[in-house]
Parts: sequence; structure tokens; C-alpha cells
Amino acid sequence: MKRSILHMLDPMPNNSPFDINMALDAGFDVLMPYNNVKLESVHGLTQDAIFSRSMGGVKRTGLFIGGRNLGLAIDMFNAAKQAMIPPFAISVFADPSGAFTTAAALVACVEKELRIKHGKELKDCKAMILGGTGPVGIATGIITSLAGAHTTIVDHLYLETAQEVGVQYNRRFGCDLHAAVAGSDKEKIDVLRDVDLIFCTAKAGIQVLNAKVLKELTQLKVAGDVNAVPPLGIEGVKREDNGTPLIHAENCNAFAVGALAVGDVKYHVQHDLLVSMLETEHPVYLDFRDAFKTAQKILG
Amino acid sequence: MEKPFILHMLTTAKNLSPFDVNMAMDAGWVSAMSYTNIEASEVQGLVQDAIFSRSAKNLKRTSIFIGGRDTKQAMDMLKIAKRSMIPPFEVSVFADPSGAFTTAAAMVAAVEYHLLTKFNTTLEGKNILALAGTGPVGQAAAVIAAKAGANVRIIGRQLDKAQHIADLCNNEFGEGKTNIQAGADADKAQYIKDTDIVFATGAAGIELLSAELIASAPQLKVAADVNAVPPAGIAGISAMDDGLLIEGSVNGAVGVGALAIGNVKYQTQNLLLKRMIQSDKPLYLHFEHAFDVAREYIKSTHAK
Repeated sequence: MKRSILHMLDPMPNNSPFDINMALDAGFDVLMPYNNVKLESVHGLTQDAIFSRSMGGVKRTGLFIGGRNLGLAIDMFNAAKQAMIPPFAISVFADPSGAFTTAAALVACVEKELRIKHGKELKDCKAMILGGTGPVGIATGIITSLAGAHTTIVDHLYLETAQEVGVQYNRRFGCDLHAAVAGSDKEKIDVLRDVDLIFCTAKAGIQVLNAKVLKELTQLKVAGDVNAVPPLGIEGVKREDNGTPLIHAENCNAFAVGALAVGDVKYHVQHDLLVSMLETEHPVYLDFRDAFKTAQKILG
Repeated sequence: MEKPFILHMLTTAKNLSPFDVNMAMDAGWVSAMSYTNIEASEVQGLVQDAIFSRSAKNLKRTSIFIGGRDTKQAMDMLKIAKRSMIPPFEVSVFADPSGAFTTAAAMVAAVEYHLLTKFNTTLEGKNILALAGTGPVGQAAAVIAAKAGANVRIIGRQLDKAQHIADLCNNEFGEGKTNIQAGADADKAQYIKDTDIVFATGAAGIELLSAELIASAPQLKVAADVNAVPPAGIAGISAMDDGLLIEGSVNGAVGVGALAIGNVKYQTQNLLLKRMIQSDKPLYLHFEHAFDVAREYIKSTHAK
């Protein structure tokens, strides 16, 4: 049998060692990094990859799209899909910054607690994504919005930044992202007062919500935090939390999901998707939607 | 299924050295992944991406290699990498910029061996001239020898540059305990008079020590040359020499040539790369560890 090859396209100067480890552990024999890749090069690179192997070899060939920019990764993903000439077609998996798999794991973990503790679904809820303008935040927003939750992207500095995210991704994916800005505690209390779900996807090592703000909330049901570097994003949430009572939200019956619980699911989602590229008979095209379905399956 | 051995190879340069890639594969690493143009500020992110994507068990099958061309950058990156580990999520790291740490370690260990067998003495208290010693190999050799108690003088064409490198070696790598000084190439006829050992670590094809200077070195015991391209860096030493008398030396000094050093260097790098595979605990390897391994290797070959 021919060796399996994963061509790893990245607009950045280097791939992420995270993705490298994951791809090799999923069973790919050979990884080839392609760095500083531009969107306009994706068509040519994809066709070079599909036309150089026999049909048997094509099944043993995949394309991974990394980078740090969500919109660019999606554009590259679509360009790669469009470059396929069946039966010369290979699987493609986009996971820029690991954001699709991380967001999928985060939303699926929160959804599970929402069901178990409150008997509710995402579509019944109002969700806020704090630190929502980064890759994980945007992907989290898209997934929750497409699942039916009233979803708001919150930026800590500028309303315009959050609005731009909404305009760009609502057009791309038909989701319905709203925008808000909240920097001070007072602004956070105003924005969060009646939300059911909080997703904290801000930078590592920054506390976004303190006990004082949490005390003012009345509707909160589940909060998820992807920050694994102390101080964590939400005061009182620990990395290992997985459906643990959120102590400082004393005026509501809220539960927390921490970074390690999310990270564990994320790891399995990324692994399973990479393995599926090797096992599939027909090419698969994997993005945040497949990541979310896989995360739900893992948890369910 | 056992997970593959993965070596993440970081370099500040725009490409890895194929030397290091071959060495890594031959030592048993299954995948050697290249990360180029890396800056010190990126090391923490890369290290943490590497450690958080495998289980503690499989992290034993994961390591990081730091290449590049600059000694200080590589040592700084090694320190940052070590600080970025979050036990039990940690992996071994090996710095060998330009192959200089293993080359220098091999050269000093070979010199030490001939000092002992031919002159029944050690590096302690010896005067060493490191000719064209401002490059990575010269720096690492100076530090290794100075840590073993030698007085080292790094010789460069420009005294101020040599002085800067000597200060760097003492302060950054010698923990303030080394005696490394600087000298100008123009003054080497003066310095050679009380020199016991010469390291020649210049560019290929440049003679750094003439027959005339060798004849005027009454204490010279061992001279080592890493240049494999004729003319040799030291007159009268050929690449294959390994303890051969240098013609014209009044003190019976012996020479060590580039291929003899190269063999020990190869074995040293191979053993360090294997050690990362075999180790149960994470290792942080640089010139000191290379010197230990080179010494052991030389001892083991001569014990046979």
C-alpha cells in the first residue's frame, strides 16, 4: 500500500507543532508542510496533489489547512474543494489555529451541561462570546448561532470590531451574529445581565469576568472557558471543571466548563477527523460543522 | 499502535541543515519537522503547541532540536523552551547551532585524550589559543575548555570583536567562572610562546598557524584543526591525523585533524539524539552534555 501523505498548507511562516503531532498520531505516514501559502496558490497546489497519484494513491492523500485567520482558511478550503476534478479528489480539513475543533468542543460541552442541568437546548438560549473577535471566538459564535442561539460577539475595546465580524461571517455562513462592546465591569454587567450562556474565548492568562460581575447575573446557566493559563478567564472556574457549580454566580443556578474538559474533547475531535480522512472511501471536506457533529457524538 | 518519534527542529535560519536532518533520522527519529526563521519570541508558543497535543506517555517520543548559526540565540532559545514546559507536559530539547556544540565538544575531548596519553596531564591550567575563535565552534570550545580549568585566549582579526566574544563566553556561557581572554591575530607570535594547546576553528582553506610559529612554541603539546579543506588551518596537520607528531615542533606536540574530530562529533551528535529517544525524563542538552558524551565515547573506543 502507498504511504499516506498529508499536505499541510499554511499561510503562516510555520505550521503548528500541535497539528503536526496530531496528524502523525492519527496515522499519516508523511507530512509535508507548505508555508507562506497564498490563497491564489491553493488551486495549483491542490491539483498538483491530486494528479500525481493513482486512484489508490489519491485515497491515501489529504490536505490540511492551518494558519491563524479564520476567513482566509475558509477561502482556502473552498478554493481547494473547487480545484478537485473527480475522480481525482482528496479530503480536505480546515482547522486554523485549532479554532474549529476548539470551538466545536467548547460549544458541545456547554450544550451537554445545558441539557443535563437545565433541560434546555441552544436554541432556547441567549449566548455571549467574550473575547469573541479572535479565531476561537468567531468559530464559537458561528456554531452557536447556527444551532439557533441568539448569539452576540463581544469585543473588549471596539463595537466596530465585533460588528465587522458579524457582517463578514453572517454573509459567509448565513448565521446571525450580533455585536456588543464591554470593557468595564459596569458594561459587562449591562451586556450579560440576561444571558443564559457565556463563552470565554479571550487571550490566555487574562481574567475577563470577576466575582463582582458574576454576582449580578440572574439568568446564567452554563459558562465555558478555554483559557488554560492562570489567571483563568472566569473567576472561580477551574481548568478541570466539567459541569461544576459556578460559585460566584450566586444569584443563578449556573455551571462551569473549564479548559481541560474542553481540551480533552477538542483533542479527540481533531484526532477523529484526521483519522476519518484516512479511512474514508470518498473524499471528505471537514470544517467547523463536522467538528461540532463529531464533538456532539463524542459527548453523547 | 506505538506513536511515531517526532523531532520538531527549530532554526533561526531560513533552512535547516541537512546534516542535522540526516543525523536525526539516522538516530531513530521517524519524523523530523522543520520550523524556519524562528525568533526567540515564538519559542514558547511552539513548545506549548508541541507539548499539549500528546499524552505524557507519547511526549517521551517527542523532542525539540534547536539549530541556527548563533550560539547565544540557541542557548537563549533552549532556556525559553525549558521554561515553557508545564510538567508533566514536557519534552527534551537539544541545542546544537551550526553543529558547533558537538564539533567543539569532540575537538576538546580529543585534545584532552592526547594530553593525557602523550603528556600525562589535563586541561587544568593550560594556556589555549583559540585561533579564529570568534565563530560558534571557537566559542563553544573556549567555554568547554575554560570550564575544565584552562586559560583560553580567543584570537580574532579584530581585537574588539574578539573581546566582545570573550566577554559573551564568560558572562553568558561560563557562569562567570571561566577565564577567557581576547587577543589580536597580529599578536599571535607573542602568545604562541607560552601556549600549550591550539584550537584552529577558522574558515576552510586559511592557514592560521604557520610552520614557523609552530617551531617557536616551546610548550606546545596538542594542536587541533577543524578545517578539512587544504591548505590545513595548522601547518603540518592533515585531516586524518589523530595524535600524530607535528613536524617541526620542538616539544613533540601532536596534531588532531578535521576527520578525526569529525568522527567523534558524528558519534556525539548521534548519541545525544538517541539519548532523547531513550530517556525517561526530559533532557536539556547543550555543549556541556556534548562534552560529557564525547569524552565517554573516546574513552570507550580506546578501552577496546
